[in-house]
Amino acid sequence: MRKSNKSSANYPPCKYACPILTDVREYVQLIAERKFTDAFASIRRQNPLPRVCGRICTHPCETACKRGQVEEPIAIASLKRFAADGLWADQYKAALAIESTGHKVAIVGSGPAGLAVAHDLALLGHSVTIFEALPVAGGMLRVGVPEYRLPKDVVAAEIEAIVALGVEVKTGVKIGKDIKLSKLSEQGFQAVFLAIGAHKDRKLGIAGEDELEGVVSAVSFLRAVNLGESPQVGKQVAVVGGGNTAIDSARSLLRMGAKVVSVVYRRSKEEMPAAEEEIEEAIHEGVKMAYLTSPVKIFGEDGRVSALKCIKNELGKPDAGGRRRPEPVSGSEFSLDVDMVVCAVGQAPESSLFADELKLSETGERIYVEASGSLATSLPAIFAGGDAVTGPATAIEAIAAGKQAAVSIDLYLRSKELPSVEKDKREETQALPSTVIERTRSFSRPSKINLSVDDRLKGFDEVEACLSEDRATQEALRCLHCYLGAKVDEERCISCLTCVRACPLGVPTVSKMGEISIDSFACQACGICVLECPVQAIDIDLDSRAKIFKQMETAMAGVQGQRPLIVGFFDFHGNFGAGDIESLRRDYPNIVPVMVFGVRRIDTVDIFKAFALGADGVFIARCPSDNDPFLEITDRIDRRVSYAGRLLEACGKKKEQLDICNMPKEGLVEKEWVDALIGKIKGMS
Amino acid sequence: MKSGSNLERILESGQFAVTAEAGPPKGTSSKVVQRKGELLKFCCDALNVTDNQTAIVRMSSLSGCVLLKELGVEPILQMVVRDRNRLALQSDILGAAALGIGNMLCLSGDHQKFGNHPTAKGVYDIDSIQFIRMVKEMRDEHKFLNGEEISGDVPLFIGAAANPFADPFEFRVTRLAKKIRAGADFIQTQGIFDMSKFAEWMKGVRDRGLHKKTYILAGLIPIKSVGMARYMRNNVSGLDVPQDVVDRMANSKDPKAEGVKICLETIEQLKEIEGIQGIHIMAVAWEDIVPRLVAQAGLMPRPIV
Amino acid sequence: MITVEQKKIEEINTMTKDYSCLLVLGCEMCAAISFAGGKRQVAELAAAIRLSRKGSGEEGEVFEESVARQCEPEFIDLVKDKVADCDAVLSLACGAGVQLMAERFSDKVLLPGCNTTFLGVTEELGVWSERCVGCGSCVLDKTAGLCPIARCSKQLLNGPCGGSMKGKCEISKDVDCVWQLIIDRLSRVNQLDKLEEIFPVKDWTPAGHGGPRKLVREDLKS
Ligand SMILES: Cc1cc2nc3c(=O)[nH]c(=O)nc-3n(C[C@H](O)[C@H](O)[C@H](O)COP(=O)(O)OP(=O)(O)OC[C@H]3O[C@@H](n4cnc5c(N)ncnc54)[C@H](O)[C@@H]3O)c2cc1C
Ligand code: SF4
Ligand code: SF4
Repeated sequence: MRKSNKSSANYPPCKYACPILTDVREYVQLIAERKFTDAFASIRRQNPLPRVCGRICTHPCETACKRGQVEEPIAIASLKRFAADGLWADQYKAALAIESTGHKVAIVGSGPAGLAVAHDLALLGHSVTIFEALPVAGGMLRVGVPEYRLPKDVVAAEIEAIVALGVEVKTGVKIGKDIKLSKLSEQGFQAVFLAIGAHKDRKLGIAGEDELEGVVSAVSFLRAVNLGESPQVGKQVAVVGGGNTAIDSARSLLRMGAKVVSVVYRRSKEEMPAAEEEIEEAIHEGVKMAYLTSPVKIFGEDGRVSALKCIKNELGKPDAGGRRRPEPVSGSEFSLDVDMVVCAVGQAPESSLFADELKLSETGERIYVEASGSLATSLPAIFAGGDAVTGPATAIEAIAAGKQAAVSIDLYLRSKELPSVEKDKREETQALPSTVIERTRSFSRPSKINLSVDDRLKGFDEVEACLSEDRATQEALRCLHCYLGAKVDEERCISCLTCVRACPLGVPTVSKMGEISIDSFACQACGICVLECPVQAIDIDLDSRAKIFKQMETAMAGVQGQRPLIVGFFDFHGNFGAGDIESLRRDYPNIVPVMVFGVRRIDTVDIFKAFALGADGVFIARCPSDNDPFLEITDRIDRRVSYAGRLLEACGKKKEQLDICNMPKEGLVEKEWVDALIGKIKGMS
Repeated sequence: MKSGSNLERILESGQFAVTAEAGPPKGTSSKVVQRKGELLKFCCDALNVTDNQTAIVRMSSLSGCVLLKELGVEPILQMVVRDRNRLALQSDILGAAALGIGNMLCLSGDHQKFGNHPTAKGVYDIDSIQFIRMVKEMRDEHKFLNGEEISGDVPLFIGAAANPFADPFEFRVTRLAKKIRAGADFIQTQGIFDMSKFAEWMKGVRDRGLHKKTYILAGLIPIKSVGMARYMRNNVSGLDVPQDVVDRMANSKDPKAEGVKICLETIEQLKEIEGIQGIHIMAVAWEDIVPRLVAQAGLMPRPIV
Repeated sequence: MITVEQKKIEEINTMTKDYSCLLVLGCEMCAAISFAGGKRQVAELAAAIRLSRKGSGEEGEVFEESVARQCEPEFIDLVKDKVADCDAVLSLACGAGVQLMAERFSDKVLLPGCNTTFLGVTEELGVWSERCVGCGSCVLDKTAGLCPIARCSKQLLNGPCGGSMKGKCEISKDVDCVWQLIIDRLSRVNQLDKLEEIFPVKDWTPAGHGGPRKLVREDLKS
């Protein structure tokens, strides 16, 4: 009657948090349904570098994930890697434009920003050339991030897929030096995208830095490592800085033979910008941490580094950025005996090459782009994005910049216009009501399967393993299906309050005039209200009524003629493995599995539908109760089945024809049980 | 005098009255009633003829009364509102008066759900208190419930029931007061087993001076067996049989004798309670015991007033 | 609300077996709130009837339809075409709805799919209890807001009777003695003196004992 759904069009937090708005919820659900090919396609449509992101993305989606409020967020990045690493991923075919537009675009830099823009523009029918100064493509993914986190062949494969779209990559060409920026238009390029990244290490600004041998910049060190140049490493090394670059340098140093590696960071662990898991792994591998410590001076012997003099800090008042400023404690100086110092205190773009043509940011380092979000620089037809504009950031932000640039460039090429991009206001994830948290069962996030430290330090083998199919599926099942839950049809609702009373999480509320509101964030799509609503005014997007019917119809159409024909409603939440459904299909062609998220919501109407479609028997396979994401509601199935059973008997069916099968701890159903059911049904006469 | 019945006269004279229950048969045999009448004639001042007791269909109470009256036994006509609306109640009262019945006991009646016609429609047009008032107005004002005039007298000594053991206990005295105000001349109570509770109720009755406004006959149910004691304890609504009564019956070698003993002890105690004007014995299916009980209680012979 | 309970499927099957083309018509007010006449119950019942008919040779057709309230002529007129197309209508409304349907479609067979139970309240999901009998002259002001006519097994106005034990009615340990509740409430609101009054006999005319009832509002009526 008079209902409303709060924020029904809301994005799930994971999607909202993602710079490229990846439909995380969708692919997570597809993984839960074991539709891995579809899951990969869903990711790939949005993201040209899924294998990269599955490994090194900083996953803001996980920070936002609603599950995190219950226990731990969904391991979204690991699931992405799982979907992207599988064989099925090779079947993906990007949807190329049918006709070429004839427009030529030059891209400077082959990092994630450059690759993303190239990918999207190629799909739009433009002809794209990437110029890369280095001998290899991939930007920081290739020459920054170490192999043990992101293997070279993974990056290479991603680039290959983009090249396959017709993108040309010219390595060893430094724009600004080998070819002037202004010359690009003469070569027929109608637009340029500058994605030169930030590869110039900042200086420490302390004595000894410039003259002593053994002081190296982190970026150049990592580049050398990644290019296979086997740079010299010291025995005892200090890495100055607290970002991922510092940690990656430290861990690489250990792999290159350094005996003692200390990370010198001026604030405490809490303030460290590097990802926490990276810090943990580094410590685990033996990296020493010197927090609240600043370098003061590098000492040398015979022109080589011999020690690093440091001073201890205290944290003082927060600075403009809100981080507490480190203040040196006088008299706390001490020396570290080192023979190598790696400076990882930040990078800036090598923008000097373009300084005479392009406007730079206020500090004179980064490339200036217009505030409109179009990524247009001060020159017409030239766009820029990624680390070159933002300073060192993340791969996914660079990809997002690339994707945005593709939109801008495409529009520009077609109509000489520039878009004005509305910055979407990224809201904080809404807080779940405490009752909802209490009544939602906790499940643990999969622990990482990593190489042993010994094996790691032998070389640059990838540390983290991919999730197994079964583990990935189970993990995907933890997703709480944000915003896929109950929607009330205002026209149909009669304010009967059933949903208010039946919801195991206490989500629906009612106004004085009978208006039902279902907070679509708090709702977790258990489906109970859909089942109970007497006027069918509620449906959920996850497994809608129609979807279940359709699944049943399609499945049954395929097996007519098999006798006795039995429909089994199975719950994805059971602990069954990949092969279980296939083997059921193989062993029992007469059993039609209908898969749903929660058999708790199977209705008498569904059961009758199965019989109407010609089933001789129906069973509901109930997953072990501790798999059910909602506490204490499994007995509903008993009540539903006994109600439906009574009705069926009155309609001339036998009670043997409807049953509950308790799914075993592992696997789908026990053979003996199925055989017994078939036997009973056959024996009915 | 309200009706001048034997019962009224005995009570008026201040003597300790004895009444007993004589249930009519589930059939047409007048002998059953007559036999009970003969049996109880000399040990009781009047006999209650029950009205489809526990909602089981029996010969009508009015017919039973007539049969007793023919034997020279004084009947008390029991009448419940469960089965009769105001029309039927009034017409039966007129009939009773015409047949010379002098006493009646106005009751709600056990719910039809307990009886042998549990699917019957209950009438409950008026309740027992309204019933008492109606009879009183018929007698004293010669008026029907609608205010119309009744031709002729309706001389009835009006009785009501009281159950001191039902809940809420505090209200039980109030309810008695209401019944008295409505017009109850005498009261027959539920069978008494829990003497201390009964005594407490009686104290409440005396505190409000109610014992001066009506005659209270204390109810007695002789117990034949431990089974019966248990059954009453667990299944009969409105009855309160304490565990020690059940135990006494259970431990006794001669339960019948024990039952009689319990009854006699109760009577002795009752005699001591101020405001008790007599006893009413409900010896369901054990009417034979009544003469012995009355005799052993020292209440024989019955006075003639 | 009026509570309604679906009849047993056996009874419905017997009632409907002679009508090949059947319209199961839901009523989405009280009957739906009672889980007897909503769209879902219509679907469930229609499926059950179809299944029962299956194999009997006379399967006929079972259609499903619902209206907001079958007790309003305007609503039921909206389904007149569907009604015209069937041999009989199985109405999942209360008795009032069934009858209005019968009046409106005078040449159609109308069958009740439900039993109308009482005027009551929802205690919790799936539990309802009676509160009112529609006696036409409310006494709740004198009985602490609790109705002895609807809720006392003997409809005593001067209760409780001698069968009230531990707060329960003599008819069952599952039924509250409403007089106990009344007394408890009167004591809470300090009005125990109300119990001393003798409630006069009730006029049952407005309760329907004066013949079928009708309510006319002269100011509203056209
Ligand atoms: C050690 C390290 C670890 C990191 N770890 C992570 C991580 O775990 N997760 C994460 O999300 N991000 C991480 N990052 C950051 C991430 O790699 C960068 O934010 C991202 O690569 C930036 O992409 P981009 O395309 O803007 O630039 P880049 O990837 O830097 O690519 C720029 C490319 O442009 C080329 N180039 C420069 N100038 C010219 C020119 N004049 N002509 C032609 N080519 C030119 C460069 O050679 C380079 O290949 C890390 C960075 C580093 C350094
Ligand atoms: S619970 Fe699922 S949909 Fe919600 S934020 Fe986490 S991954 Fe996304
Ligand atoms: S789907 Fe489940 S959680 Fe959501 S409102 Fe309905 S009953 Fe509540």
